[in-house]
Amino acid sequence: MTFSPSHRVDLKRMASKASLKQKFLKKWMEGLRTYGSSNPFTTVSERKRIIKLSADIAMASIQEGATKWSRALIENASQGMDTFKKSAMSDDRGARLPSAASVAKKIASKKISKSRRRRTRICEPPRPKRLQARSIAKRLVKKRTQVLKNLVPGGESMDDASLIKETLDYIMSLQVQVDVMRSLACMSEHLHRK
Amino acid sequence: MSNRRSRQPSSSGSSRISDDQIVDLLSKLRRILPKIHDSGRSSKVSKVLQETCNYIRSLHREVDDLSERLFQLLGTIDADSPEATIIRSLILQ
Repeated sequence: MTFSPSHRVDLKRMASKASLKQKFLKKWMEGLRTYGSSNPFTTVSERKRIIKLSADIAMASIQEGATKWSRALIENASQGMDTFKKSAMSDDRGARLPSAASVAKKIASKKISKSRRRRTRICEPPRPKRLQARSIAKRLVKKRTQVLKNLVPGGESMDDASLIKETLDYIMSLQVQVDVMRSLACMSEHLHRK
Repeated sequence: MSNRRSRQPSSSGSSRISDDQIVDLLSKLRRILPKIHDSGRSSKVSKVLQETCNYIRSLHREVDDLSERLFQLLGTIDADSPEATIIRSLILQ
């Protein structure tokens, strides 16, 4: 079996993805222990929120501030966590994580304005069909770009080039997050089936 | 993946990407997205954008569903549950 160059790249990619999964799992579990242990959550929706928010914070903190989406996500998720946060943040475990309050403060200076920039519509004279089709396609791209900006954390203030780069990174991180959570869910359900 | 290209000044007018960047980034995107149905030339960009948005949305939904399925985990993190043991061994590798 010969390893083609692309195969070698794939193996490398797989190995780095595995280490990302491990990092994610570690940070996520630390977060759950920090945010979850001291509070008896009764409702299913509360628990679900905690799990999701700490998963998002874990996914974003792996980036170590290198991407815009991760910084925006940490800010958003921390704000959500503050609802549940008690004195759990003052203990040692909490110090290891970016604590919701300190991270929010750090990012406060980089706070992204959430107001949408609206382009004023300019009335265009009627054009030949070929140009019409092209401008329709352009408008479609603009519209879909805006949708993407809403989906990627912090996307509103990105230029188009950064948006695509951040999107690539965001999607790959989401895949890691989903993979780990899915494996854990299957394992957990399997164990509880007894 | 923290390499940053020299940022183009984000003008308030047009926010166009250069063709080279489009080709490069689109190919990367296509590689990680589920199968896309390719259509005409001019609609390639918008098609990839749409597929991207749909994919992100589906990933969000999946995280949401999984968070719900995992709610049992919260109660067992600290205890000597089988999950906690397995998770600990996975993390310590």
